[in-house]
Amino acid sequence: MSPGLLEGLLMLPALLLLALVFLWPLGAMAWLSGQASSVLTGLTALPNGGANWLRLLGDGRFWQDAGQTLRFALVSVVLELLLGLGLALLLQRPGRGRAWLRTLTLLPWALPTTVMALGWRWIYNDPFGPLNALLGLLGIGPYGFLSNPATSWLFTVLADVWKTTPFVALLLLAGLQSIPLELRESLELEGAGRWQRLRHLTLPLLLPYLSLALLFRLTQALGVFDLVQVLTGGGPAGSTESLALYAYLNAMRFLDFGYSATVVMGTFVLLLLAVSLALLLWRRSQPHRRPA
Amino acid sequence: MLRQAPGHAAGNRPGNRQPQAGVLLLVAVLTLLLIALLGIAQRHGVAPAAAGPVPVRLLMPAPFVDATAPLLKTFHRSHPNLRLEVTRGPLDTEAMSDLAIGALLLGETPYDVMLVDVTWTARYAAAGWLTPLEPLLGNDALEGMVPGARLGNHFDGHLWRMPFNGDTGLLYWRTDLMDKPPADTAELEEIAGRLQREGLVRWGYVWQGRQYEGLSCVMLEVLNGFGAYWWRPSAEGVAPVAGQTDLASPGAIRAAAWLQGLIRQGITPQAVANAAENETLQLFAAGEAAFMRNWPYAWREIENGGGPVTGHVGVTPVLAAPGQQTGGTLGTWGFSLIAGSPHPREAAEVIRWLTAPDTQRQLVMAQGYAPTWSALYDDPELARLQPLLAVQRRALEEALVRPLTPLYAQLSDLLQRQVNGLISGGGSAPAAMAEAQRRSSVLLDAASTS
Amino acid sequence: MRALVLLWSLGPLFLQLFSSLVTPETLVDPGKIAGGGHWTLANYRALLGASPSFGRYLLNSAVVGSGTTALTLLLAVPCAYGLQRQRGAMRWSVMAALLGAALFPTVLLFLALLGLARRFDLGNDLLALSLPYAGLSLPLAVLLLRTAIADLPPELEEAAQLEGLDFGERVRHVLLPLLSPALASTAILVFLFSWNEYPIALTWISRADRLTLPTAISRIAGSSVYAVPYGAFAAATVLGSLPLLLLVLLFQRSIVSGLTQGAIKG
Repeated sequence: MSPGLLEGLLMLPALLLLALVFLWPLGAMAWLSGQASSVLTGLTALPNGGANWLRLLGDGRFWQDAGQTLRFALVSVVLELLLGLGLALLLQRPGRGRAWLRTLTLLPWALPTTVMALGWRWIYNDPFGPLNALLGLLGIGPYGFLSNPATSWLFTVLADVWKTTPFVALLLLAGLQSIPLELRESLELEGAGRWQRLRHLTLPLLLPYLSLALLFRLTQALGVFDLVQVLTGGGPAGSTESLALYAYLNAMRFLDFGYSATVVMGTFVLLLLAVSLALLLWRRSQPHRRPA
Repeated sequence: MLRQAPGHAAGNRPGNRQPQAGVLLLVAVLTLLLIALLGIAQRHGVAPAAAGPVPVRLLMPAPFVDATAPLLKTFHRSHPNLRLEVTRGPLDTEAMSDLAIGALLLGETPYDVMLVDVTWTARYAAAGWLTPLEPLLGNDALEGMVPGARLGNHFDGHLWRMPFNGDTGLLYWRTDLMDKPPADTAELEEIAGRLQREGLVRWGYVWQGRQYEGLSCVMLEVLNGFGAYWWRPSAEGVAPVAGQTDLASPGAIRAAAWLQGLIRQGITPQAVANAAENETLQLFAAGEAAFMRNWPYAWREIENGGGPVTGHVGVTPVLAAPGQQTGGTLGTWGFSLIAGSPHPREAAEVIRWLTAPDTQRQLVMAQGYAPTWSALYDDPELARLQPLLAVQRRALEEALVRPLTPLYAQLSDLLQRQVNGLISGGGSAPAAMAEAQRRSSVLLDAASTS
Repeated sequence: MRALVLLWSLGPLFLQLFSSLVTPETLVDPGKIAGGGHWTLANYRALLGASPSFGRYLLNSAVVGSGTTALTLLLAVPCAYGLQRQRGAMRWSVMAALLGAALFPTVLLFLALLGLARRFDLGNDLLALSLPYAGLSLPLAVLLLRTAIADLPPELEEAAQLEGLDFGERVRHVLLPLLSPALASTAILVFLFSWNEYPIALTWISRADRLTLPTAISRIAGSSVYAVPYGAFAAATVLGSLPLLLLVLLFQRSIVSGLTQGAIKG
């Protein structure tokens, strides 16, 4: 027996389960996207050529949702990275009660999304919610945070930023802690200011952490579901509907499984494109660094 | 990104005797465990052939469970051979639908009888989840019901559902602000505007404008009130789809424009674009609005709520534009028999009992539910106890049923999106309705060719 | 600055606590608080007194969470160990696949996993639910544990071998004790994931007495249809958050160190 093979066997049970949970579903969806399987076929699957895919290409709602999902993902991820970086720098600073501060700021991330989405639904309530009460004190409003198709998505972003920034901050905090203190001190001795230290020392060394956080948050945000389903249900006027929610509605409400699978596979393709694009841009911006 | 840790090779050095048996055993055990988990979890529906009362499993939204609890006690006394197992579903209709569909999809026939919304009938029947009721209850099962209550129970030539209540959309008005309700939509606008200008009330008219099923109900009433149709059933019946939409007609555009205009004029608050029944009721019950469109339940809530408007509320059928026929959306629940139920006969007996005139009479007295049987509306004692009955009967006689097609969920969804976009974001009524019509046609065409 | 951060993080949570403790009338008009006597525990009483009681959902979530955590660790530890012993292409390809799977938005799997539940009749079974949950948690868990194993000094295992400890003893007396911090943080993360997971629970569980917390919360029926049941919602969110609050407060060090040190040694 060659070395490593035996230990390789140790991986088998886990890999089997992974195949069951990841590979098999993807295969099943790819197959189902080529079938008519809806309430009109009595929920049985009948091959319908590429009809589902043709419908997807011409489905304005799919492309609208794709745009909206992308918009949500990009804006929330950028905000989360910026705020997360700030928060991480703050959490790193020594001071009284630092451990408590870390714990307390982490709380929003630990709570179930559905729980906090309900909380935000009340905060945004028009006209009784706390945010409108605040506006009322300032003599403005009430404002329909969740009833204006032009702006409602911003408030889904805000809720997501609230919940996920601590997670990003945590990842970046780890990065900050991996930077040797001596490096910082030597820069300080050379007379580098705070901003220069950040630019020339912290950010470059933090880059792997930033890119991992970016990659992770981007893919998760492109699959946003819980938040939107509970906070807005996709409204108003479908302006906050995400691709995942559209796939869910097709299956569980419209009982069109073939098309739901097609939406899922379409989303998967877009996801792969987005991630490859992000990786490509990242590589290009790093001509001298090989991706580790 | 993931660092290759140095110095890991130690464990692999040749000659380094690995206890192979131990590793293999571990792998085998874990793999078996996985398979066993799959196997254990796979429960087989073993029907215990035990003697004793036959269990009939029922799924209802929570308020109906509470309302019928005392009645079910009576039922058990008179039917010792049956045992009802009732599950409380969620309050919200769409959450209930998700639950019902989730349960039915998992496929183990978790219930024998389900309380089904009027818009689900065609979809559930087409999905093969229901058992026709006419062989069990007779072809004349609905004989003696108010005409409106008979709608929405048949599809494809079968009876799928026995209506449990006769709810329709109603218009609530404030008796402390006016002597009599308006006669049509124009008058409503005028009264509401005047009251607002005089500073007697903040808002004129509140209704359900959120992107959800309630908006489709409002829209159906307004379409009808402006002489337009959402759905034209086709006589020859293109088998699965069974009709065409007609949303871009001049009347339909006037209808949508009217809703948009209410908000533009400030008669309706912008907030209705995100309001469901409860939010509108909250505004109206707090004395913030002169008129409200809602279901019969709102009456009991206001009268029992003890808020500022309690005792100052009147109810009338929903209004139409001057010279048009009025009609309120039918929002009834009804009992369906789930396909694959092991006890269809017993389940049908339960359905018959739960929808019988005697049972409904009790529910009218205790809960104020709108009955479906004509005879109950003629009962002087009930009329005395429930002053709303006279209005409800009028409304039920001209009730409007939402499109009866398995594709209703999609049709409703896309209409909601267009109308909600119109009232919340702007755009023009003709464009929104043309888009709704275009998308509906695409959907229906794709369905009838597949 | 710190005060601002705390206000931002905790403000919404305190709002929930407040909403859960006042009468519906006060909720719509907080000015009434000044009058006094508008505090109430009714929302909590209603939730815990409902049928099934809210405690049931907490219990269900705890069952799924424990099952998932146990199963995940049981599979992830050997896998991480085996992976660390691989070399070259095998190791890189497995790690790349794991990273890809860890990044994958799990919601996209809901329809196919529903198909799995239907085919094997796994619906409405809490222990069965921990099967997909464990599968979905595995990539992150294996990656975390592998890094932890890689960080162990290799001499240790050699020394233990020289001492004459067999494989099982080495695992029990050397590997697991040294890994326990990483195991703890992985366990917490997996538990958090399964406690919070929503779309799959939504499709796998339909019976009211089997609902997990997130699905139950999204389905809470208010005690009265009159008031928007925000009070009940808020009480539910408070009750549902308490266990997590405890968990995070107790294990904050583990979470911070585990997640950060393990996930991305780069």
